[in-house]
Amino acid sequence: MHEVALIVLSGLLLLFSLAVVVAPNILHAAIALIASFLVTSAIYLQNGAEFAALAQIMIYIGGIVIFMVITVLLTSRLGEENIYFTPTWQRLTGVGVSAALLLVSFLIAARVYRARLVPTTIGPGAIADLDAIGLRLLRSDSEGLALPFELISVLLLISLIGAIVIARKEPAAGKGGAS
Amino acid sequence: MMAAHLLALSLLLLVVGIYGVLTRRNIIGILLAVEVILNAANLNFITFARWGGADPVAGSVFPVFVMAVSACEMAVALAIIIALFRQKNNLDVNRLRGLNG
Repeated sequence: MHEVALIVLSGLLLLFSLAVVVAPNILHAAIALIASFLVTSAIYLQNGAEFAALAQIMIYIGGIVIFMVITVLLTSRLGEENIYFTPTWQRLTGVGVSAALLLVSFLIAARVYRARLVPTTIGPGAIADLDAIGLRLLRSDSEGLALPFELISVLLLISLIGAIVIARKEPAAGKGGAS
Repeated sequence: MMAAHLLALSLLLLVVGIYGVLTRRNIIGILLAVEVILNAANLNFITFARWGGADPVAGSVFPVFVMAVSACEMAVALAIIIALFRQKNNLDVNRLRGLNG
């Protein structure tokens, strides 16, 4: 039952990700990305990671992709203006590099599997519940994650200010002075 | 079985994302492909949190850090894209040669 659901979800995820990568209209690609994130959060839920699934929906779909869609709409009319068709040599290079990467990873995986470096039958481990995650995020001992958690907020503030400074309209030459 | 399945899925997503980074000509398209790669990395974290990882809590928390850093990256990248679009009026990486040596 779980296996069948996982196979269906994986197929959908691969399909949507391929659509993200090959759709000529960039707006369609962004919408396919939303769909692929939804399917990913379903896979997270299936594997007992509720926190990551909810964060995925709220941060990625609610924040990042919507932001991207807005940028697409600002830079091209419904994504229809800036459609650039990839030349064949570039497409072939992409296919070649990806296939080579896939082949090398497959060879490494086969070797690891044959050498029995990892146990081949892993059972499901413990599920991290929300209480444990929250306590862990605010603990400050050697295993706690309080420092990265706080650093993330500083990083968000810095990038917010940086984004505003970069995207600000230059003041008109005649008026002069920063506004 | 399920762990191997998830890891294979993550590898395929990585390959798809790399193909996108290599073949897209629109800058925003490249960013979307990078998101696919980050998604593959998050899937890996969750897989090892559930199947045979020593520390499931850290495995569930790290995707959130990845998301936050990716949000910062997107904010700055999209600001740069908008500034670029205002100046050059196109987003084709094959034609933007301002930083070529």
